[in-house]
Amino acid sequence: MIVHVENLVKRYGELTAIDHLSMDVRQGEIFGLLGPNGSGKTTAINCILSLLKYDKGMIEIFDKPMTPYAYDIKKDIGIVMQNVAVFEELTVYENIDYFCGLYIKDKTQKEAYVNEAIAFVGLGDFIKFYPKKLSGGLLRRLNIACGIAHKPKLIILDEPTVAVDPQSRNKILEGIVELNRQGATIIYTSHYMEEVEQICSRIMILDKGRIIAEGSKEELKSMISLGEKISVEVFNLKDIHVKEIEALPNITSVVYQDHTLVIKSHKGKDNLESVLNYVRKNGINFGTIYSEKPTLNDVFLEITGKELRD
Amino acid sequence: MFIHIFKYRFKSLIRNKSMIFWTLVFPLLLATFFSLAFSGLNDHERFNTINIGIIKDDNYEKDFAFQQLIQMLSKDEKPMFSASLMNEEEAKEKLVSNSIDGFIQVGSPMVLTVHQKGFNQSVIKLFLDQYSQTYSAVINIAKEDSTVLKDVITKLEEGALYTKEFQLSQANPDNTLMYFYALIAMSCLYGSFFGLREVIDIQADQSPHAARVNLSPVHKLKAFIYSGASSVLIHTAELMVLLAYLYFGLGIDFGHQFGLVILTTILGSVVGITMGALIGVVVKGGEGIKSAVCIGVSMLGSFLSGMMYGEMKYIIDQNAPIIGRLNPIHVLADAFYALYYYDDYERYSMNALSLVAFILIFSIITYRIIRREKYASI
Repeated sequence: MIVHVENLVKRYGELTAIDHLSMDVRQGEIFGLLGPNGSGKTTAINCILSLLKYDKGMIEIFDKPMTPYAYDIKKDIGIVMQNVAVFEELTVYENIDYFCGLYIKDKTQKEAYVNEAIAFVGLGDFIKFYPKKLSGGLLRRLNIACGIAHKPKLIILDEPTVAVDPQSRNKILEGIVELNRQGATIIYTSHYMEEVEQICSRIMILDKGRIIAEGSKEELKSMISLGEKISVEVFNLKDIHVKEIEALPNITSVVYQDHTLVIKSHKGKDNLESVLNYVRKNGINFGTIYSEKPTLNDVFLEITGKELRD
Repeated sequence: MFIHIFKYRFKSLIRNKSMIFWTLVFPLLLATFFSLAFSGLNDHERFNTINIGIIKDDNYEKDFAFQQLIQMLSKDEKPMFSASLMNEEEAKEKLVSNSIDGFIQVGSPMVLTVHQKGFNQSVIKLFLDQYSQTYSAVINIAKEDSTVLKDVITKLEEGALYTKEFQLSQANPDNTLMYFYALIAMSCLYGSFFGLREVIDIQADQSPHAARVNLSPVHKLKAFIYSGASSVLIHTAELMVLLAYLYFGLGIDFGHQFGLVILTTILGSVVGITMGALIGVVVKGGEGIKSAVCIGVSMLGSFLSGMMYGEMKYIIDQNAPIIGRLNPIHVLADAFYALYYYDDYERYSMNALSLVAFILIFSIITYRIIRREKYASI
């Protein structure tokens, strides 16, 4: 096991930030920690890394107890923190060289690793730039390069795409998958469910410091009753129609709001067809119509009763 | 690892324009300003030989006592008067052309003629008043009882010995030096900005960089010491530039113990850096608040040691000496003062020991706080 956490509890006075968290991260996977802001993701990461004191629990990394003095463990961990942690007075190259040099003593090897990291994040044209001259996306890439240049076995990325443009975000996500393909085990925290869904092989959803669900995305989606969500653009719908659609087989809920009819149903083959038949039969004019499979947001919504971005 | 951390810390600090301005450029500007403001201040207080004219007439020829006294006062290596005999016309011309400060017509009473009011004119008048009083007293006593005349003259001569000048050192008194010494001391305490920066970059609960460094496989205290070494080097170099500018550029006198002046400055730099580190770990709040505390402490210490108002140092020494002993700027400035004025090392040693005590106290408290490796919150 790369990371093993058992019954972790962290309190800030009366507030329980982490409530009996247990998790295992296996070698070679991309493990996603998903949850809204304030759900305890970063606190959990800081406890795992022995930066934060915790009230209870046991943490092992690479099958050894993690402590602040476990330098043999730390040398194989790469961290990309939520807040950009680079030195304003050092250039792009110097920043990466500085952080890499904290892990790698051999000068030739270090130089090679630094150049690889620069190429990996696509900052080759900016090596003499100071951080304040970089855009938000490039700065995040520099932050990542500083965290991964020493080729760690375990990489922890804490919300690495916050405030990043879509182009840079895609580049970062592709890079994370590539790092994993090269052999690194990844822990990825985010409140963007699309990102987690896109790259993570296993996901843990946190809310208020507690685990509310864990598994692959398919496993998570199978946990909930929702099988399909059909959205229909309708400009004029009577209450009677809403009630009749609600009575159709397999339908669990119908909401008509802002000219959009949202129909949720259990899993089934013919849900969309039966809705379409009803609309045509009753001469209801409609614009677009589409069907969606449940998302992680639906999983979160069904379990907690609130949206993931609340 | 030492070279790696030291090198990048050095680059990082030396490129921090705001830090370099406050710790190097600002003291140089202040020193220049002091030099301009204080130029000529000591000239007014330094005694120079006074040129006087004496009208050569019958009264002068008869007054042997006055002749002898004038000769005596014109004889020393740095005499009180430079007296020239002349007629009245010549004296008036020289007075108008400022070649002499006044001329004396011997007689009863003595007549002093001056062209303007001033320090030198007051000295001549004082001298004449005293001479006239003493002369009259001797004449009166001689008229009443000439037998006691000898005793009276002896007593008058003894009167001149009531006070005796005792020199503590070879140094010339200079009232402006304390301002410059306080300025150097303040610059030393500005090292607190470096100390504060070091703590902010090593305490994981104070900056993302620090959290990041704490997660690397480098011992936290070692990283702090390696990094701090570059702070000490840069700040000491800055202070050496300041000393060189004061000495070579502005002609400030540091006495003849320049080696100890440098040593004291280095000690001062370490006091400043350790004090900043202490402020960094003790004061709650953001970097802005901590920087404000560093500036506030340095400014208050400078004020209490007489940098803004010279008399303040003496007021503190007389009324609340403990405040002076607890003020690093006061102790530093006093160490420079002691090196300049005193030939023995008693006072200097006390100051140097106080500086070492400050360093130890600041370092021990800082160490006890930053040695923790885990934080309650980040």
